[in-house]
Formats: sequence, C-alpha cells, structure tokens
Amino acid sequence: MTAVKLGRLEAELSPGRVVLRGRIDDSSPLGELAAQVAPGNVVVDTDGVTFINSIGMREWMRFVRTLKARGRVTYERVAAVLITQMNMLPEFDGSAITSFHAQYECGACGAEAVLLVDAVAHAEELRGMRAPKLPCPECGQPMALADFPERYLSVFKA
Amino acid sequence: MVVHPERRAQRSLQRLVGATQCKVDVYDNIDAALKVIDASTIAVVDAAIAQARPALRELDAKAWIAVPGEGLAPAEAGVLDGLLASGWTHVVAHQMPILAEELLATIQKLMRDQVFGLEKYMAWGAEVRSYTLVDARDRDDVVSSLARDVVGVGLPDRVGSLVSVIADELLANALYVAPVDATGTRIRSAEQRDRSRALAGRDVVTVRWATDARYLAIEVRDRWGSIDLHAIPARLASGGKQATSAEGGMGLPLAFACCNQFVIGCAPGALTEVVALLDVRYKPTELGRTASFHAFTGTADEAAFVGGAS
Repeated sequence: MTAVKLGRLEAELSPGRVVLRGRIDDSSPLGELAAQVAPGNVVVDTDGVTFINSIGMREWMRFVRTLKARGRVTYERVAAVLITQMNMLPEFDGSAITSFHAQYECGACGAEAVLLVDAVAHAEELRGMRAPKLPCPECGQPMALADFPERYLSVFKA
Repeated sequence: MVVHPERRAQRSLQRLVGATQCKVDVYDNIDAALKVIDASTIAVVDAAIAQARPALRELDAKAWIAVPGEGLAPAEAGVLDGLLASGWTHVVAHQMPILAEELLATIQKLMRDQVFGLEKYMAWGAEVRSYTLVDARDRDDVVSSLARDVVGVGLPDRVGSLVSVIADELLANALYVAPVDATGTRIRSAEQRDRSRALAGRDVVTVRWATDARYLAIEVRDRWGSIDLHAIPARLASGGKQATSAEGGMGLPLAFACCNQFVIGCAPGALTEVVALLDVRYKPTELGRTASFHAFTGTADEAAFVGGAS
C-alpha cells in the first residue's frame, strides 16, 4: 500500500483500490493522484471524505475521468458530502456505486444520523428513486431519508 | 400588484403584500394587469403565469416576483428552473409561512431601496456575529469557525456541513472572482488559493451570520460590486448543471443548491453581498426542493453606509 498526502486529503493506494480521507478542495490536485493509480479496474472508497467544494469537485471529476479511461470505476462507501454533489452532475448517472452515506431521520425519536446504504442489496428500490428504511441507531425504529430522493438517488435512476 | 388566477391565493397574497401598507391591486389574468403596470409597480405573479410568459420580466416594472402557484404549495422545481433559466431575478420557491416572510422582506427591500444586510431576514433580538478576513488564507479558519459556531448554538451537524460549503464558496467568490481592474477583467481568478494576500481597502471581505431559530443566515460581502446580476439566474438553474458540465463557475450554483433562499445585492463598483438562508425549522422535504432566488441592485449611498467602497 502507498500512502499519499495531497493538501488536507490523504490517499491510500493499493492494487485495484483507492481510499480517500479528509478534504477535497483547492489543495487537492487529484490529477496527480490519478497518475499514481495503476491502470485497470479500481474501487474508490470515500468513506473518510469530510468536505468537498467546487474546486474539489472539479478535481474529483478529472480524477474519475482519468480512471474511467483506463478501466471500470466502482464507488464504495461514498461520503454524504460527495454523493449529493455527484447527483448534481449528469456524468455520474448510472455509476457503479456499491454503497453510500445519506442523511436519515427517525420519525419516532427525532434522531438524525448519516447512515450507510447498501446500494447492491437495495438496488431495485434505488432504481425506483426510493430510499430504503433503515433502523434508527438510537431507538431501533425505521428511519427514512431526510431529504429529497433526487439529491441522493438520481445517479441510480433507471 | 398581485396577479394570480386562484381567489384563495389572491386573498393570501393581498394580505401579505398589504402588510407593507402599500396599495395592492389584484388581478386574475396577466393581460388585464399589463394595462396598468408601470415602472413603479412591484408585480407579484403566479409562477404558472410567469412560466407561460417568461418574457414578462423584461417589461417595465420596479420588479417582477414569481410566487408558488396552485394552493400556494411549494413551487415545482422544474418551473423554478425554467424561470431562472429565463432570467427571472425574484423567484419564490416556498409555501407559507416562509412565503410570507420572504415576500414581505423582498417587497420592503424593493420599496425602501434598502437592499443590504442579513438583519432584514432575522427576528428582532437575533445576535449577529462577524468575521473580517485580514489575509486571503484566513478563509479556511473562518469557514471552520463558522461551522463550529453554528453547531455550537445547537443546530445539527447536517446544517454545519452545509454552512461549510456555502461559506467556502461565497468567500472564494469574494476573494478570487470579485476583484476586477478598470476594464472589468477578473484579476485574481487565476491566483494560487493557498497564497498569502493581505486584505485591505477594496480587498476587504467580511462574513456575518445569525440565527433566530427560524433561519440561519450567512452573509458575505466584497467591496467590488462586480457581479453580473442578470447572468446569475441562468447559472443557478438546474442546480448549476450547465455550469458544472462546462467545468466552470460551479461555486455559486453549489452554494445555491445548499440553501433555501439565495439573495444577492449589488451596488455596482462598490459592494456585492450574498446572503444564503437556511430554514432550520422544517425538514428539507417540507420545503421547496429548489431554493428561492432574489437579486437586488443597491445604491452607492447605501453601499457606502454599510461599509462598501466609495
């Protein structure tokens, strides 16, 4: 595994896998990182990404385009801050996403939480723009997506 | 003036606009209204009528304001996108009671020619906190402080996260896009964003924020007054999809997509102020899916009064 630091973003590169943590912003030249990723299919894990701004989004798009030109890109544990922005961009429609984080709210106890949604297990619902209900970490009752489905699920739309 | 086909909506809007104590004429069709509209008229128009006649906004009036249509439910995102794409500079997305608060503030700002200041959206008593950047590199610290302070007053992490994005984008716009030379060329747009640059004179950028437990308002001001108010609405349409696809100008569309009401005031050559409002009372799904948008042209005198360039 190779560890790379780009501004306030940390990356771990291993064969067929990239893990990103931190902020994707003006200080994160992801184009340089893409050059260090071996050609072929790759899984990109962004669970630890905490912030992305418009410059960061531009870098992210360049990064993904470079990887896509060399193989299949699968997104795993997509951060909530990233999935909402990916849903604003048509080029991410139909992306291979295995899981993503989303803001949920519990109707029973009022808790708000960012939960991980298994996009493979719930693929059919997601294609229909329906977010699965998930158990509340506080009271166990079903939680619902706390936002418009379009903000999280447009990328899955059939 | 209120132009709306539904009698019930007419009554609500008449009361809302009437709260300004100005004379309110009510029409159920635009053609009748057009016979009496003049340069002093503030026309509050059903969004469906505005959608059918987007060129209305080019007709001479003090302002054209599109409001939600049927039953005053939240406006359809597609309708709002269409109006923004057509260049409408006052588009209300939300239903009551937000509609009332937003419409009253908008009309009073227009009538009084007082367009600057987040206080116009806050209840009396809300404390306003401010930060002044002394160096361009202070941006990150200010954004972090702001997000921390917002969560510190009891707002959820979700709001703190949105605030980070909004403040970062508005500050980047004020620091790197707003500065222009005498020819209007944007002189800082290619500047390295990790470079130190002391901010004095027209380079001063200020951030203020407040919450009254209804709204959280974030206000960012620069002293250049260089924003093109007429070009902005189309850039915001569809959450900035056009801008983002072209890989340019993503900042303001992203800030717009993160808030519930996006208000820009500009005194040309003196001051640009962007106020992003987040409604912290309701779930996101209980509000309009798209943010409302308002653009105001301010006077040099008011800009000087609130600290703009003179």
